[in-house]
Amino acid sequence: MWIRKGLTVAAAAALAFGAVSCGSSPGGRDDGKVLIGISIPLTGDFAEPGKSVEEGYRLWAETINGKGGLLGKQVELKILDDKSQAEAVVSDYEALIAQDQVDLIFGPYSSRLVIPAARVAEEYGMLFVEPAGNAAEVFEQGFQNLFYGGPSVADTSFDHLVDHVLAMPEEQRPKTAAIVAMDDPFPKATAHGVRDQLRDGGVEIVVDELYPPNQTDFSGLAAKVAASNADIVIGGAAYQDAVNLIIGLQQLNYDPEIAGFTTAPTHPEFAKALGAGTAGILAPTSYSPDARHETNAEFVAAYEEKFGGRPNEDHAAAFATGQVVAAAVEAVGCAEQGECQQQLVDWLRNAEVPTVVGPLSWDDAGRPKSASMVLQWQDGVSRIVLPADAAEAEFIYPKPGW
Amino acid sequence: MPSASETDVMHRLARYAHVLRMGGVSALIVIGLSVPSALGNPYLLSAAVVILNYALCATGWNFMGGFTGYISFGHAAYFGLGAYGTALLINRLDLAPFLAVALAVLIVSVIAVPVGFAALRLRGASFVIGTIAFVLIILLVFQSWNSFTGGSSGMEVPRPFPELTRPEHHLRFYYLYLGLLAFALLLWWLIDRSQFGLRLKGIREDEDKARALGVPTMEYKVVAFVLSAAFTAAAGGLYALWFGDLDPVFQFSILLGAYMVLMALVGGIRSLFGPLLGAVIVGYALEYFKLNYGDTQIHLAATGLLLVLVVLFMPDGIIPGARELANRHLRSGQTSIREQTQEELLAAQRSSGPEPPSQPAFSATVNGGRP
Amino acid sequence: MDSTVVFQTVILGVLLGGQYALLASGLTLYFGVMRVVMLAHASFLVLAAYLAWWFTTSTGLDPMLSMAITVPLFFGLGVVMQRILLSRLRPATLTMMSCLLTLAIALVVEGVLGFLFTGVQRRVQVGYGSAQLNFFGASIPVVKLVSFGLAVFGLAALYFILMKSSFGRSLRATIQHKQAAQLVGINTDRVAGHGFGLGLATAAVGGTALALDATIFPSLHWYWIGPLMAIIVVGGLGSVPGAAIAAMILGIATSVLQIPMGATWAQTVFYLALFATLLFRPQGFFGGRLAQRF
Repeated sequence: MWIRKGLTVAAAAALAFGAVSCGSSPGGRDDGKVLIGISIPLTGDFAEPGKSVEEGYRLWAETINGKGGLLGKQVELKILDDKSQAEAVVSDYEALIAQDQVDLIFGPYSSRLVIPAARVAEEYGMLFVEPAGNAAEVFEQGFQNLFYGGPSVADTSFDHLVDHVLAMPEEQRPKTAAIVAMDDPFPKATAHGVRDQLRDGGVEIVVDELYPPNQTDFSGLAAKVAASNADIVIGGAAYQDAVNLIIGLQQLNYDPEIAGFTTAPTHPEFAKALGAGTAGILAPTSYSPDARHETNAEFVAAYEEKFGGRPNEDHAAAFATGQVVAAAVEAVGCAEQGECQQQLVDWLRNAEVPTVVGPLSWDDAGRPKSASMVLQWQDGVSRIVLPADAAEAEFIYPKPGW
Repeated sequence: MPSASETDVMHRLARYAHVLRMGGVSALIVIGLSVPSALGNPYLLSAAVVILNYALCATGWNFMGGFTGYISFGHAAYFGLGAYGTALLINRLDLAPFLAVALAVLIVSVIAVPVGFAALRLRGASFVIGTIAFVLIILLVFQSWNSFTGGSSGMEVPRPFPELTRPEHHLRFYYLYLGLLAFALLLWWLIDRSQFGLRLKGIREDEDKARALGVPTMEYKVVAFVLSAAFTAAAGGLYALWFGDLDPVFQFSILLGAYMVLMALVGGIRSLFGPLLGAVIVGYALEYFKLNYGDTQIHLAATGLLLVLVVLFMPDGIIPGARELANRHLRSGQTSIREQTQEELLAAQRSSGPEPPSQPAFSATVNGGRP
Repeated sequence: MDSTVVFQTVILGVLLGGQYALLASGLTLYFGVMRVVMLAHASFLVLAAYLAWWFTTSTGLDPMLSMAITVPLFFGLGVVMQRILLSRLRPATLTMMSCLLTLAIALVVEGVLGFLFTGVQRRVQVGYGSAQLNFFGASIPVVKLVSFGLAVFGLAALYFILMKSSFGRSLRATIQHKQAAQLVGINTDRVAGHGFGLGLATAAVGGTALALDATIFPSLHWYWIGPLMAIIVVGGLGSVPGAAIAAMILGIATSVLQIPMGATWAQTVFYLALFATLLFRPQGFFGGRLAQRF
């Protein structure tokens, strides 16, 4: 009896692994193209921005192929869906690097997913440029190969807003603030960055709450914020949670003087979801389609042609990531796994790369060296309002009614 | 009346049974050790580690499900507790990695005692519901208790062997898991042949009768429960060290608990290697679906369909099914029990090794009275 | 905490409780009729919500009108599921197998939804989406009132069917004692099928109510499995009024506790209530004499 059992198990195991090992081939590829491996959240909590990142990457690939490719070879993207899950992002990159033998990798979306993915990249010695993970933790893990494809880090994203608020004359200045944040590195870092600075500046924090990423019912949280009657509400959010919270606040007739949310207001769908309710909402942004950076006008035009409408922050960050890697590859002259990756890392460490989000350069941990701007929704359009030298419109204060 | 040649085969089998048994197990060990070299790349090796993790969890689950018949759907709770326990001990108290795992297993075992005493008062569906509720409430606690557990952002676990390359890291954990699995299988086998095991099976067949016969049913059930929680927690601890990134939603998931049940079921709940076989099959199927259909959510539907098929058409699992087939083939001459003498029947049963006290069909009537 | 806030949260809690009651009502039927642990009910709620959303975005009409299609559709689905899948399970291993089977069905539904509609979170937009009524100082969102109204309607309809129709009587008889029902000539197999269908039909109504004010995405059902299970255990299995009362109490409790404790901690109330019930009064608190125990 044990015989049969033992043999059955042995047979099954052998068959399974035999079938599995048949399909793989060690060693490199030589198919004359540059294969780039990417894992992004196309489903799950980060699906909305994940889609934007995918579009940005694809647009970059098309653009560069149109100009002859990388090092003369056509670029091909292999994109996997990590369902916004850390486990999946790890096995995706592991498969891309170890099984598919990709030449280069681009990073995923959100600080939450970037950290485990960066670890895989690091342990395989791959260059890791990523479009959307800039919470403090990302840079504190000791990664040697990580570069963020955007101009600023999370905690300081809303700095211009905070400075503006604290610079207001005493009688005009808001006195209380409600801070809510999704329990996820980036929104949390941004919201808490604002909270700490406001508190140091003398503003009273009356609400300070965190909520899990999969929360969809915001009636309790909205009730709490509305009851506090805070002058400022700051939401560290992704997308749908911000929409739900704002609807919840509108339903309770709560009207703050300043309302700032991360990420969500930078998406064009935001206007569709809230209609006139977007009036006066602020958001930090690393990108403006009207900014006069090198390559930006071309990018905006190409985006309009392919997708219609204007690109947002996530599209730009993805495109910029592609630009950064391309610059390194062209400068160093190689695009493959192994030694080449360390050469790319070393070159980038000291470089300044012109991208659609501006010229990018980094410190030893991969932190970028510039700052974010602040946009505000006015009459159904989002406009840059801070800092003053990049502003397209006046900062409206207090916020017009929802 | 079985023909002369068939009796001959049976007697020969009986003589070589011991040798064949050893042979089967050795073959298994050899295959287990040589898998890493057979696999083509580190990604596949990491998939193999995942499968061994499942196998350990399923075997651990089977200490409870197989012996006592209490089906826990929330066993992921112990997996998660073992994983987070290890992570917390390393991150907060700076303990050495494997000491942390051992301590975490101990802590989970201690927690499992009162939980067991409370939960095992419930029978049948109440027990199942209770286990599901248990894992869900732990999930909520770990999601909310931000300062302690890191909340929904999860928790990082530093590498125990930072000097290893990633493929070497996978390899080392492959062997660690293999070793722990072997230990679990050995313990399961020992219990299976022991008095303790016999009494547990008695509880499975008819708990009230067992109690009437003087078996301290509650204490025995709790022991099986704690053992099962301990092994699952150990799997969790190793996972924390290997994977390095914990997220409450995935560590405390009903789906993981259901996979454990499914794997034990597919392989055969009452057999030693059943959960391992189930883990290999189901784990492979899951990886396959994720890789090939992973760009949409249709892989979930594929997994669901697989589950449906198993439940409807293979409710006893593969190993008992295979055994059934083999039995029918080897004893094809038998039509009625009266055509065999008592001695022949006894001899035939002895030659096929120790069997569990009863077959599933039998237990249907015995269990019919249970709520 | 000032009194307006408390008052407001209590009102919101009542509305939430009503919604929970509707969502849970069908669930109690599955167990009563077939002793099946139905983990797929929540996924059918999400399916109905998606159908309502799709209906609204395609036709521009109010999502509630989609019930004209979804209710009979789900009824039929329920009957089919029971006859083809669930009746095949063997009594000896019913609990384990029904858990696995219904979980599998839930996964299939989630997978198909994800495939058809992608994982992007959706929200139905109705004209009255942000409107609110003022009720003694409390701001009551109109959508929640509508949702509550739907819940009352659904529960009333269910109650009426169970109490006044002959089908309802047969169903209750089957729930109370299957063999006795057979002895008086009730075709329990057919009744079981129809009972299942009825349960799933309530999911159609419940899902539509959900769609009015919630964000939906394919994996939303995981969020509901626990609370719904807790409601019917606390309420008493096989008892629709029991489920309604339990839902109301737990709804108010979670709503009120959300303010001091945060939404996630507040949810633990469901499980604590469930544990308490299983340990101290397994047949539930509000089910009356004939409520079942698991």
